[in-house]
Amino acid sequence: MGQIEWAMWANEQALASGLILITGGIVATAGRFTQWYFGAYSIVAGVFVCLLEYPRGKRKKGSTMERWGQKYMTAVVKLFGPFTRNYYVRAVLHLLLSVPAGFLLATILGTACLAIASGIYLLAAVRGEQWTPIEPKPRERPQIGGTIKQPPSNPPPRPPAEARKKPSEEEAAVAAGGPPGGPQVNPIPVTDEVV
Amino acid sequence: MLSAVTDLGSIESTVSKNLPVVSIHQLGLCLSRASASVLNLNCSLILLPMCRTLLAYLRGSQKVPSRRTRRLLDKSRTFHITCGVTICIFSGVHVAAHLVNALNFSVNYSEDFVELNAARYRDEDPRKLLFTTVPGLTGVCMVVVLFLMITASTYAIRVSNYDIFWYTHNLFFVFYMLLTLHVSGGLLKYQTNLDTHPPGCISLNRTSSQNISLPEYFSEHFHEPFPEGFSKPAEFTQHKFVKICMEEPRFQANFPQTWLWISGPLCLYCAERLYRYIRSNKPVTIISVISHPSDVMEIRMVKENFKARPGQYITLHCPSVSALENHPFTLTMCPTETKATFGVHLKIVGDWTERFRDLLLPPSSQDSEILPFIQSRNYPKLYIDGPFGSPFEESLNYEVSLCVAGGIGVTPFASILNTLLDDWKPYKLRRLYFIWVCRDIQSFRWFADLLCMLHNKFWQENRPDYVNIQLYLSQTDGIQKIIGEKYHALNSRLFIGRPRWKLLFDEIAKYNRGKTVGVFCCGPNSLSKTLHKLSNQNNSYGTRFEYNKESFS
Repeated sequence: MGQIEWAMWANEQALASGLILITGGIVATAGRFTQWYFGAYSIVAGVFVCLLEYPRGKRKKGSTMERWGQKYMTAVVKLFGPFTRNYYVRAVLHLLLSVPAGFLLATILGTACLAIASGIYLLAAVRGEQWTPIEPKPRERPQIGGTIKQPPSNPPPRPPAEARKKPSEEEAAVAAGGPPGGPQVNPIPVTDEVV
Repeated sequence: MLSAVTDLGSIESTVSKNLPVVSIHQLGLCLSRASASVLNLNCSLILLPMCRTLLAYLRGSQKVPSRRTRRLLDKSRTFHITCGVTICIFSGVHVAAHLVNALNFSVNYSEDFVELNAARYRDEDPRKLLFTTVPGLTGVCMVVVLFLMITASTYAIRVSNYDIFWYTHNLFFVFYMLLTLHVSGGLLKYQTNLDTHPPGCISLNRTSSQNISLPEYFSEHFHEPFPEGFSKPAEFTQHKFVKICMEEPRFQANFPQTWLWISGPLCLYCAERLYRYIRSNKPVTIISVISHPSDVMEIRMVKENFKARPGQYITLHCPSVSALENHPFTLTMCPTETKATFGVHLKIVGDWTERFRDLLLPPSSQDSEILPFIQSRNYPKLYIDGPFGSPFEESLNYEVSLCVAGGIGVTPFASILNTLLDDWKPYKLRRLYFIWVCRDIQSFRWFADLLCMLHNKFWQENRPDYVNIQLYLSQTDGIQKIIGEKYHALNSRLFIGRPRWKLLFDEIAKYNRGKTVGVFCCGPNSLSKTLHKLSNQNNSYGTRFEYNKESFS
């Protein structure tokens, strides 16, 4: 049980409650019940909650499934910084939003569901979870010719790698090795035997 | 019937003013009754696919001879999900209709038919109706439970946090208890004394203000069923023949039909759970624990009276690791008549498997090569539940089978191969194409011995084309090209890169003309989709590919 990330479940619940609030609000306003303005409030609150909860937060371990088209809302939600990152804020916000809808029969279910979501968010906040946006991975552009290294500068036979060090390193590391890089200097003088 | 009698009550007070409200009342009641019927059916059917022991028995029994019927059993999880979604939608309709009804019951309180009213007095606050009556309160609780269950059952939650899904889904029992209480409220009533007080009769001791003119009165009832003695509404207006009420109407609550619907499946499910609990109460005896490369561990064990068919899976429960969690693993070796040992291969991903491995294998020896630990160390108590059926059992019932495995997905096919190693003659299978795709070359060593032994056995029996093995290494760093020195047969069948499925399917179709080939895949979803699409395509050789799908999370 220690590995459960409650925030994801709270997010699903809040999204569902938002939809329930919208539906209840539509029923209340269309039917022109008494106190129908609560229905109108419920629609607005429902839309706000849905938009806030649409982008799914990133999981701590493993990959997270994104909702379709969530990157647009991610940009907006990210702007609010700590207000959307912190789950305590979200818990309190959802609780406050759910209260006015409880006065009307048609939207009372939305209240109950949003209150439960707020409770689970509180649990997630207590366990230290945070909302991190899912960033799109920067596409690595394929480097054309990046793996082609410099061709060797000396013709064969080439001395081993230690001998091919740069002159600055050679002063520092007085390693035994062949002659430094540069034009080939033959260790044994080669004479031309053509007579 | 109820609509008819309620109509009577509301019409007798005022006629024209109530017409629009009456029609809403009827619509609300009709919607709620209709959705309730749908909910009855779905709540009873949804339990049936979860009786997994029963389904495993049906799959293996002789009473289900047709392959088509067995393939229906493969879809049991999809059926369960469909019923769940239907319950969700129709609960929404039912709740909305009842909310409208609650409002109407309080507004249109009928003084004439006091027993029919759900409200206790006129204009009772509908919220009070909701929370203080038994059906209302249980209904609200059921909606809350359903909300919790549904939000935790989405695909994203199941894939990431399976625990939340599992624990909330066990609330279904609360849901069913609430459902049985919900319908016992006795809201719907029918009239018991229809003969002495038929609908539409005139009471002689009513005040004159409540008497309505007859033609108008009876034209409202043209859609109702009439008791015997009356034929057509036209006759009323013509003959003006009415009955006189002998006595006041008496009502009695309908017997809750829901109890009849859900009692059968609920009892069946409870019986199955009890049977599984009793069967899994005896711990298994672990014989050996073997560590394989690429984070795989094999456990061999025995249990008395344990029988399993190749392709089935079991769930492991180890209280020392976690008191509540059960994890499913496919059997890689099934008990036979001669050998009672059975085994599973587990891949170590996630916290449960890691803790399990630490209990079974001391951490110092986890990196060593394949060595069986036959020592009298104290293994933790392990309980198994199962075996449960899976579509892979069907691969022995096709004449030609194509089995594709991705990584650790090879486990169901390993049990099939073990069975063939034991004795291949009793089965219908005559040719098996076995394709195994892995990322890491060391993974092939899990079953390299088994494959080589199988290959040798069929070579000795002069049936070299019984099993056609192809191994693919999908990602390579170019260094290791062979599995091991002694696995000659496998090294020559190892290909680098991903398989080219279209060519493979064409080749199999060409060599098995006109036959039905069973395609089985256990691996990532993308692989499964590709194979499904290719199996459904036509080919010029007349070969039919039947794709058998296993759904995991």
